[in-house]
Amino acid sequence: MNRRNALRRTALLAGSAVATPTLLSLLQSCKEQKRVDWVPQFLNQDQAVFLASFVDTILPRTETPGALDVKVDIFMDLMYAKAYDQSAQEYVKAEIDKFNAACKDEYGSVFADLSEEDKTAVLKKAEAETAKFNPGVWGTAVGEQKPVAFYRQLKSMALWAYFSSEEVGKNILSYDPIPGEYLGCIPLSDVGNTWSL
Amino acid sequence: MANFIIDAKKEMTYDAIVIGSGISGGWAAKELCENGLKTLVLERGRIVEHVTDYPTMTLDPWDTELRGSLTPEQKARHPKGIRSGFIGANNEHFHANDVENPYTEVKPFLWVRAHQMGGRSLLWGKQCYRWSDLDFEANLKDGHGVDWPIRYKDIAPWYTHVEKFAGISGEALGLPQLPDSHFLPPMELNCVEKHVKERIEKEYNGRNMIIGRVAHLTEPLNGRGKCQFRNRCDRGCPYGAYFSSNAVTLPAANATGNLTIRPFSIVQSIIYDETTGKASGVRIIDSETSEMLEYQAKIIFCNASTLSTTQILMNSTSDRFPNGLGNDSGELGHNLMDHTYRVGAMGKVEGFDDQYYKGRRPNGIYIPRYYNLDEQTKTDRFVRGFGFQGSGGRAGWGAGSNQENFGGEFKDSLMKPGPWEFFITGFAECLPNHENKVYLNKEVLDKWGQPTLSIDAEWGENELAMNKVIREDAKEMLERAGLQDIMDFDNEHEMGYGIHEMGTARMGRDPKTSVLNGNNQVHGAKNVFVTDGACMTSSSCVNPSLTYMALTARAANFAVSELKKNNL
Repeated sequence: MNRRNALRRTALLAGSAVATPTLLSLLQSCKEQKRVDWVPQFLNQDQAVFLASFVDTILPRTETPGALDVKVDIFMDLMYAKAYDQSAQEYVKAEIDKFNAACKDEYGSVFADLSEEDKTAVLKKAEAETAKFNPGVWGTAVGEQKPVAFYRQLKSMALWAYFSSEEVGKNILSYDPIPGEYLGCIPLSDVGNTWSL
Repeated sequence: MANFIIDAKKEMTYDAIVIGSGISGGWAAKELCENGLKTLVLERGRIVEHVTDYPTMTLDPWDTELRGSLTPEQKARHPKGIRSGFIGANNEHFHANDVENPYTEVKPFLWVRAHQMGGRSLLWGKQCYRWSDLDFEANLKDGHGVDWPIRYKDIAPWYTHVEKFAGISGEALGLPQLPDSHFLPPMELNCVEKHVKERIEKEYNGRNMIIGRVAHLTEPLNGRGKCQFRNRCDRGCPYGAYFSSNAVTLPAANATGNLTIRPFSIVQSIIYDETTGKASGVRIIDSETSEMLEYQAKIIFCNASTLSTTQILMNSTSDRFPNGLGNDSGELGHNLMDHTYRVGAMGKVEGFDDQYYKGRRPNGIYIPRYYNLDEQTKTDRFVRGFGFQGSGGRAGWGAGSNQENFGGEFKDSLMKPGPWEFFITGFAECLPNHENKVYLNKEVLDKWGQPTLSIDAEWGENELAMNKVIREDAKEMLERAGLQDIMDFDNEHEMGYGIHEMGTARMGRDPKTSVLNGNNQVHGAKNVFVTDGACMTSSSCVNPSLTYMALTARAANFAVSELKKNNL
């Protein structure tokens, strides 16, 4: 890996590459700006467009609904608005902006405007280099947790937002709110998908 | 149920006062009321009626706006308690407000509190294990702390008494270090737990892995329904399937017509009568009006929880007891204990990919203590011992966060259960140490202007030595059981994380070195009984609540017989 790539890579993960707002807006004004068709409570339009594109890349529609079908982006925006304190909110906004800026620096445009190929390249790089979450036991992580960069936090939240949605939790995963009994060993084929609760 | 009598103002004199309505207070109320005593239970928080006041008991994640996440406002009420990892939006209303009720950590200490009717009996882990003479004789044998004034035979019938009413599920094994309870049918181990059990028991002579013994009904009992395996216990159980004061003991006490429970009643102190040499009643602060009131009774049971009971005793000063009620020995507030927590190992188990389970079992496995039981199992690395809890299960979609993957196939793969995982985590006995202490802090006052507690305690060499062995043994056991990708861990948690605070008003044989006698009576004020965790003389390595229940029932029945003999 040459030093230039190393720097870019670091920039993407740590979000330290900075494109000036002036430059960004100039570039954006050159072409039609993407917008989301819902009103974000917390994110600005650019950030909401990023989030929609991000969760759609992580969890696209297949034979089962995609992240956008179950409004993962709208729910995450709501979470940022209502469940995050101010410093966590500022962190999210800053990190999204940095992520976009790094994409722009390396690939020439913000994440949502990248080709599928470039989006995949960006996320693959982030996957390979972002620390993992330690496993948890009874509500807290075990072992010494290395700081987990924004990418994996965002992915993790997108997964939660997707699988805890009513559509997925009730109709796609195996949903049984009142099992009534505990059976310790049954064929997986009797259940099918993973338990939702 | 219910319609509790809560208007205590008309009647200021009772036969008995019980301070606190958690696990031990509920038992005191039941035993005293059933013996005909007009009993006033003083609860510092609000009334929580069984079922009616469990607003989150049936909520699915998508039923609430934030799917169970806390808001910044909710988090701000629990700057300390949140460290436990147990507070979520579905149980936040059962956790005490840390801001209104501050405490000072001279050394780091997590104090998890629940200020409402039922207390922590709504939130507890429900693991129930009898102590044995290995525990009751431990202090005498190795010289740490003072000798327990009782032995297993003194408490055994009371274990049976409380177990029959509380409902404890488990399997009888006849292990001397872990006496069997009066059991309801055990819950089932899953495929992987059965497999690991077989391997461990084959690899190690004298080690057992059993299903946890828990206060959950596996058969209906006294009108309560059996466990439905929803695992939403900490929101309150609509079936009354797990033991709580709210579902079990307080309704029984109420049924006698002898119970009055007064909510919003913070006990400020116990009133000592210099002429009779007994306590005459208690002084309370109404938490809503800040009004100070007094209630009189012939006997007083302290069940406010370990540290709160000690705080009340320390705050109860008189000419006779200038350093706190019953504190002739100087041991009040000392010898604080807990169990070490979150040291163990986890790994993956292969070969069961076509197997799954049904139900969310609110219980796991238990590996009883296997060191220092006899000459053969003696180690020179530490005194006393530890046990393990844990469980096995299949990873869910959450595992996707760490997978280096994304996209459509990735998403669809997460619809299927992931690998089987299994973990164990140790709970080590904590030695009584005079230096581990709490004391009144008059600089930091609570919302009602009352002194608060400073907590000054830390693990000693013996506990840390055990944690080391727990980690080594956990890893080795999982290796020898054939697990893959084993990760051993020690989170180095401070005291308090076990949420098993014990000691600070210990029982003993000698008033010069203890606060309570063998019947849980305060030395020098015989009509005051302490039967919550404060009374504990040592800590064993097993979960303590069942022992609080048994000690409380025993002491309450003793108190009734002494009252009848006019001895109190």
